Amino acid sequence: MSAIELDDIHTYYGQSHVLQGVSLAVEEGENVALLGRNGVGKTTTLRSILQLTPPRAGTVRINGEDVTGLATHEVAQRGVGWVPEERRMFSHLTVAENVRAAIPPDADPAERMQLAFDRFPDLEDLREHEAGSLSGGQQQMLAIARALVGDNDILLVDEPSEGLAPLIVEEVVEALQSLPDDKTLVLVEQNVPMALALTDRFYVIDHGEVVAEGDSAEASLEDERIRRYLTA
Amino acid sequence: MAISPDSSDPADGADGSGADGSPTTGADGPTSAAGGSPSPDGGETGEASRAATAEAEGRTALDTVRSIVSDHAVHIGVIVLFAIYPLAYTQLIALPVIGQELELLFPRTRTMVAVLYVGLFAMSFDFISGYTGYLSFGHSMFYGIGAYLVVLSVNGKVPFLGGIESLLLLALVGGLLAMGAALLVGAVSFRLSGVYFAMVTLGFAEVAHVFIRNWDYVSSNPRDGASLGNNAVSIGLPEWGPLPNWNVTIGQIVGSEFPNVLGTGFDLSKADVSFYAVGIVVLLSYFAMQRIIHSPYGKVMIAIRENEERARAVGYNTFYYKMGAFAMSAFFAAIAGGLLAGYKRSVAPENTFDLFVTADALLAAIIGGFGTLAGALYGVLFQDTLEDFLSTEEGLAPYLRENLSESTMDTVVGDGIDLLLNGRAGLYIGIVFILFVLYVPEGILGTLRSRLGGTVAEKLPERFERYRGGNQ
Amino acid sequence: MTGIVAAVAALAGLPALAGLPAFAGLDAIVPLANLGQLADLVDPTTLFGIFLNAISKFGVYVTIAAGLSLIFGLMGVLNFAHGSLTMIGAYLGGALMLTFVSEATGDVVAIAFFFLALALVFAIVTAAGAVIEIGLIRPIYDRPPLFQILLTFGLVLVLEEGMRIVLDVYDVQPNVDWTEAAGTRPDVLGFHEILGVTTRGIYQFEAVVGILVVAATWWFLTRTSYGLHIRAGSEDAEMAQALGIDVRRSFTVVFGVGAGLAALAGVMLMWDPRYGASVGLGVETLLIAFVVVIVGGLGSFKGTVVAAAIVAVVDALASWMLVNDVVTFSGLPELVIFLVLVGVLVVRPQGLFGVEEVGGH
Repeated sequence: MSAIELDDIHTYYGQSHVLQGVSLAVEEGENVALLGRNGVGKTTTLRSILQLTPPRAGTVRINGEDVTGLATHEVAQRGVGWVPEERRMFSHLTVAENVRAAIPPDADPAERMQLAFDRFPDLEDLREHEAGSLSGGQQQMLAIARALVGDNDILLVDEPSEGLAPLIVEEVVEALQSLPDDKTLVLVEQNVPMALALTDRFYVIDHGEVVAEGDSAEASLEDERIRRYLTA
Repeated sequence: MAISPDSSDPADGADGSGADGSPTTGADGPTSAAGGSPSPDGGETGEASRAATAEAEGRTALDTVRSIVSDHAVHIGVIVLFAIYPLAYTQLIALPVIGQELELLFPRTRTMVAVLYVGLFAMSFDFISGYTGYLSFGHSMFYGIGAYLVVLSVNGKVPFLGGIESLLLLALVGGLLAMGAALLVGAVSFRLSGVYFAMVTLGFAEVAHVFIRNWDYVSSNPRDGASLGNNAVSIGLPEWGPLPNWNVTIGQIVGSEFPNVLGTGFDLSKADVSFYAVGIVVLLSYFAMQRIIHSPYGKVMIAIRENEERARAVGYNTFYYKMGAFAMSAFFAAIAGGLLAGYKRSVAPENTFDLFVTADALLAAIIGGFGTLAGALYGVLFQDTLEDFLSTEEGLAPYLRENLSESTMDTVVGDGIDLLLNGRAGLYIGIVFILFVLYVPEGILGTLRSRLGGTVAEKLPERFERYRGGNQ
Repeated sequence: MTGIVAAVAALAGLPALAGLPAFAGLDAIVPLANLGQLADLVDPTTLFGIFLNAISKFGVYVTIAAGLSLIFGLMGVLNFAHGSLTMIGAYLGGALMLTFVSEATGDVVAIAFFFLALALVFAIVTAAGAVIEIGLIRPIYDRPPLFQILLTFGLVLVLEEGMRIVLDVYDVQPNVDWTEAAGTRPDVLGFHEILGVTTRGIYQFEAVVGILVVAATWWFLTRTSYGLHIRAGSEDAEMAQALGIDVRRSFTVVFGVGAGLAALAGVMLMWDPRYGASVGLGVETLLIAFVVVIVGGLGSFKGTVVAAAIVAVVDALASWMLVNDVVTFSGLPELVIFLVLVGVLVVRPQGLFGVEEVGGH
């Protein structure tokens, strides 16, 4: 039983047929990268898993359970966390409130908050600041903290390095590397070396389909499988 | 033949689609030179090419006429239905046995006059809101401008316009004024969209509403409005040069009447005359709006509704198109207002400038079909028929009171009738409206169009052809 | 200080201008001779009177608008039925008070019963609102926003006519203020004097209730997890869902609470001589609620509070000017409210504190 299983999913944005039969599987504890050019459907794949943009055909399974057609919050409650492109902070809420919003109702809020701040001490200093006033890097950390606080064993992370200065990207990489081993990670990234360094396996997506896959350890930017689909 | 407000008298030529449909391109609908299939734009090009072909094939003038009629069959059908209504109504209610029941079911001619001008207002509302997607919640302001201008002019309170009897002329001036107001309001409001646009236009309209309710220039009691008093207004050709003096006075109580028309034995009562006079103006206005919708201008309006960003990206100056559409819709709203003033002979803030006047138009447009133009008229027809049916003076309640036995009336039934049926049209209209929003979002006409796959004027004759062909 | 003296001197000289023809038209609406009255604004008693009027109006406006602000902020739905709910609240409140209170009831007890009535009406209408949301609004949630607005508009018709039917059964006149219910108002809330200004106790009472409503709503939004979810959902409903928040259930809660608050305002207005329980109350309060919420800005409760204050002050000033013949146009107070709406939207389209994105969708 895989943590995530996508079986021939077709997803549309309006009339646009974005995912045209995507199939992939991610095992528990694995870290997998989704590579590909802009607009090929990487983000849509993540959204389809979360049922934010539900697939019109095909199945999505989380830990063996068919979640296709469920409401997003129900999928999220099954332990799927999302760190979206553009971070998507609740800008008018404070840092602390952003984290609190992610804490499940049956958990102890104070305890969870402390865990989050232990992992991201810089955020603790900012806890009463409005999230909208944070820098890009700080927001990225907050987004990751939010996803971790919610009892999530599966993390869907979308372009975490986007728009960040190289020094900050290093911090983000560190944060992702320090994730517990039992977490399952699906990482969408344009920065191929970074993606390969953080993951065990990778898939390449082009025109809404999976066109290549392999082990991250053996691959690089020069890899034929990757280079074909990533040049602009 | 029963005239029901539902799907049995469909007519429209207005292109576009239902509230969320994809734009249909009526101008390049199915045409073939030899066949008789209609195109909504059929007027000039279709006829010209067909005339040429007709010549070539040696067809007679009669054939040409026949094809024109079949092209516009649906339009003509509806116009005929409306045209015979007053006479048919008078005959129907005079019938023995069922006359009284028929009088109950069918709206009075007097009500039908209101259906016409309120319908025109509702159509003008649909013209802007249904086709560009910008909800003009302040639309009653233009209606009010038209209405009040007529009354104030006739009462001599407007410089340069005193003493004019021609309603059309006054309505025209009102229309131009309303266009000006629309341009002013639009210049400020079109920077916004969606709910904010609706609210800002509402704000302007309420400013006008409060103003007119308190401005004592209008009359000694502005809250009650103003009236035409004994002054007459007429609809017809202006007194100018060689034009014949065709004029009829209209009005609820004072209009012209023509007993024994042309010796046929039929009488045209005052309400009948007003009906026809107002009807012609409304018909012409409808065709004007419909032509605009069909034209390239109308296509851009629809493009704005579907995806304004894309329309702009393609190169259209959407601001100008919106302003133009808004001004035109204001013009026709004011014409409708002028007709209201001319017929009812008085105006008041709550039947002209009020938010709920706009709200009624919105209601009618939704029930009839948002973005179909003619649908708005049918929506008003439905509303007014229901109101007439449930009216306190001549509706269902008094009818039942007359015809049910005393003992029945004494029971719960009698109380129930008084409580639930006596002038409670608003309740049922509201319920119908909610049901429509939930289950028939495209409205009557919109759903019909979806079923037929195109505008009714286009597709219905085809369906009949197919049906006839199958039976031969 | 000298500035004020100079201004007053200038005002005193204005009547002379009235003679000039160019000013004649303006004179009809704003009699220049009376502009001198504006000098009265410096007088503390006058100012205090305006202040009392403003805070009472603030209490009324903020209570009317609070519910709509929550609904609009989270769901992006402009609830046209808001005014009708206020109207229903007024009648419900009146009916309850007539059952609780009689001639013999003491003032303090009457006020206690009033708070009981407030609580009951709030509870009943909140529940009804939740049912309406589940039954009528949810099914069309995925349609263009226009349809939700339309549906609430259909509700207005049904609720209004339904109310008339009920009033008919109980023999209450629908189009005039329900004076019998207003009669339950205790004398302590009647006329009295504060610092030389004659006013009614009910007006100060409204100010107090208004402040309590603001405080309670503020507490709800910032100190409860429901409130947190609602605020998060207002900003970004998708993200909130991805965090496991059932945004749709929040919608039901918000719609219910919003309806309850509207009805609560109605109960208060039942006692207010300027309003009173009548079917027409619906339209009156609806427009005010719209103006306050839109001016305040979508998604911001703070904006609603500030906007209510601004509108209240403007209204109080305009009313004073009218009463003192500084202006003879009787519609001025109503007019300025809409001018504020138009003015703010022109300058700042998203409202004073508007969050740029529409919540919900």
